[in-house]
Amino acid sequence: MRNRRYRPQSTLSHEFELDLAPLLAVMVKLVPVLLVSSAFVQMMMVETDLPQAVKEAVVRNEKAPTANLQLDISGKDGLRLILALTGQAPTVTLIPNRGDGGFNLSDLHARLVEIKTAHPDLFRLELNPGANIAYRDIVKIMDEARKAKDSKIHFPVTDPKTQTVSETDYMFPNVVFVNMMEG
Amino acid sequence: MRRTRYKLPKTQSVFTLNITSMTDMFTILLVFLLQTYSTSAVEVLPEKDINLPVSNAELSPVKALNVSVSRSELKIEGRTIASLDNGEFQGSDIDQKDPNFIKPLFQELRQLQGKPGADQSAAILLQADSGLTYQALRKVMYTSSMAGFPQLKMATVVGE
Repeated sequence: MRNRRYRPQSTLSHEFELDLAPLLAVMVKLVPVLLVSSAFVQMMMVETDLPQAVKEAVVRNEKAPTANLQLDISGKDGLRLILALTGQAPTVTLIPNRGDGGFNLSDLHARLVEIKTAHPDLFRLELNPGANIAYRDIVKIMDEARKAKDSKIHFPVTDPKTQTVSETDYMFPNVVFVNMMEG
Repeated sequence: MRRTRYKLPKTQSVFTLNITSMTDMFTILLVFLLQTYSTSAVEVLPEKDINLPVSNAELSPVKALNVSVSRSELKIEGRTIASLDNGEFQGSDIDQKDPNFIKPLFQELRQLQGKPGADQSAAILLQADSGLTYQALRKVMYTSSMAGFPQLKMATVVGE
């Protein structure tokens, strides 16, 4: 008797459908939950939440300031940085406005990085904006002063107790409006 | 001749709904909503007539007294305190002896501080229109600090 060779049944269908109903049921429940808790306008806050080492350095600098940095903002003349070291005559740097009348923020940032590199223990920036300066420009200037934009740039922070040196990208997070109480 | 009665053709009564396209849509929606999901502890709703300034600040808002300044109104927690004329405070709201002192704002803040259980170290979350001048904002900052609210936090939006 001749052996009959096995052949798969050709009537079986190779097509199948994935049951998407449970997946859809999960999604229908998830979407309303996420819709309720979504923030379509992401609001943030300008304040400095600093690392511990930087916070301590800010307090030390507040107690015994070695230098004072002031930034005058004028719509007509541009930006004027005044660096006053204890016992020395102040150094004034004028950053004129761009051709289109806007503030030259890139030059300001570069100059602030230079000052911070030379004086890493300085964290306070005294802002002196003119009366007609727009709020949006003040926030932009504060952004430029807060942190170094280049991720490769870091400033040393030394703990006087342990003499350990840590690094931070914060420049001048402590911003004070000096002319707020003026008449 | 006998007439044959018309019969409806036999059709299959079971049908399957194709939900593949709906699942596609939900998947896209889910990814978008997961991106915008907010984990902030405090929910601050921006005022509708205020364009907040754009900043790269990374700090989420904290619990604070909500003061908003638009080009037409000064509000505390949604209540109108004073009105502005094109971004400038009106003369009747300003103290005659002190040009930076906003009388209704001071009175309202003092009232809030005097309430039992009020947080004495309370801060202000300032929502101000980006087009306002420093002159107008300085008045708010000055009056707030005089009323016992020296801590000011500026609300901004993420962008650019």
